[in-house]
Amino acid sequence: MNYLIGYISLGVVVLTVVYVSHRLSQSPESKFKDDLMSLIRPESENLSDKVITYFIAPFLAAVLILIAWPAVIFYKAREMRFKNLEVQHEQPKEFAVLSSDLIQQLSLEEIERKERVEDPLNAVPDLPFGHLNKAWNIFIEGREPEDEIWSFSAIWTHEWGWKELRAGYVLVRADSIGPYFLTARQNLD
Amino acid sequence: MTAQIAEKLYYEGQKLSMCSEPLGNYFAFTGENPGFESNCTALWRGYVGTWEIKGGRLYMIELTGTLEDGSDATLATIFPNFPDRVFAHWYSGTIRIPQGKMLDYVHMGYGSTYERDLLLTIERGVVTESTVRENGISEDADAPDGYGVGAMTVFPRKEKDGNE
Repeated sequence: MNYLIGYISLGVVVLTVVYVSHRLSQSPESKFKDDLMSLIRPESENLSDKVITYFIAPFLAAVLILIAWPAVIFYKAREMRFKNLEVQHEQPKEFAVLSSDLIQQLSLEEIERKERVEDPLNAVPDLPFGHLNKAWNIFIEGREPEDEIWSFSAIWTHEWGWKELRAGYVLVRADSIGPYFLTARQNLD
Repeated sequence: MTAQIAEKLYYEGQKLSMCSEPLGNYFAFTGENPGFESNCTALWRGYVGTWEIKGGRLYMIELTGTLEDGSDATLATIFPNFPDRVFAHWYSGTIRIPQGKMLDYVHMGYGSTYERDLLLTIERGVVTESTVRENGISEDADAPDGYGVGAMTVFPRKEKDGNE
């Protein structure tokens, strides 16, 4: 009997710690979070849902913690351990354009004429590459006088195995392939 | 990983759930991402975009989210000169719109399957093809109708000074 009282007492301590840390982590939430909840559970205005959310679910959670508090400690410790390991992930292999991906050499004028975007609702700037114009300008600012601009199309295998079609423009400098500007990325699987 | 909250799409007079993220390509192509705060496991990208197919073209018409500094994000945060409507000319791919009752719930990404998928093929922001893929008929009368997320963990929101 004493063991049972001791076990439940420790459960009360764990429950108190969980409850206090949960309360301390609460802060005023944005309207965005309310929008999220309505997206997930549009029926959450019902009285029955509120009873479940605010009374039944917390009560069941409290009982569960009192009964299985060692599991709570185990999962919390494991979560903290994996959180520390997350930062040690290897960097993914980076995409690079190969010479076999090159399609055609084009002048800057040709590209900017070809890549002008039009829209009947005027929802795009009247500039080469439309909404991507700023990024395009940054790309060509890095160009040197002898650089060539080539269009390219490549099949890229993602580190998790799926294939993507990637296309755009790339700088070629003395036969070596430099920075690229992506204009298309499409999953092929 | 948790099942993800879908984007919203207005198409042929209906408001639909769209299991594709065209804005992800924009961030990849420009290298610019304003830095969204992810406050739940069902929304790792940190924002929800609202899209519309109008005149056979894909437009982004709204964005809701929270930035890492705590401020609200809107369409104007990313496209300051186009706060109401943006032509998604950078997007080529297939947009998946699940319809009907759920056949199989997968608690990861957009992995759940539904009775039908409306598939819209987009080329540089223009709809080029529309097909329907039949995945089966649910035998469960109580199966959820339409895309949804089963469960998620909500994180406490960060303070504006960076403390949690």
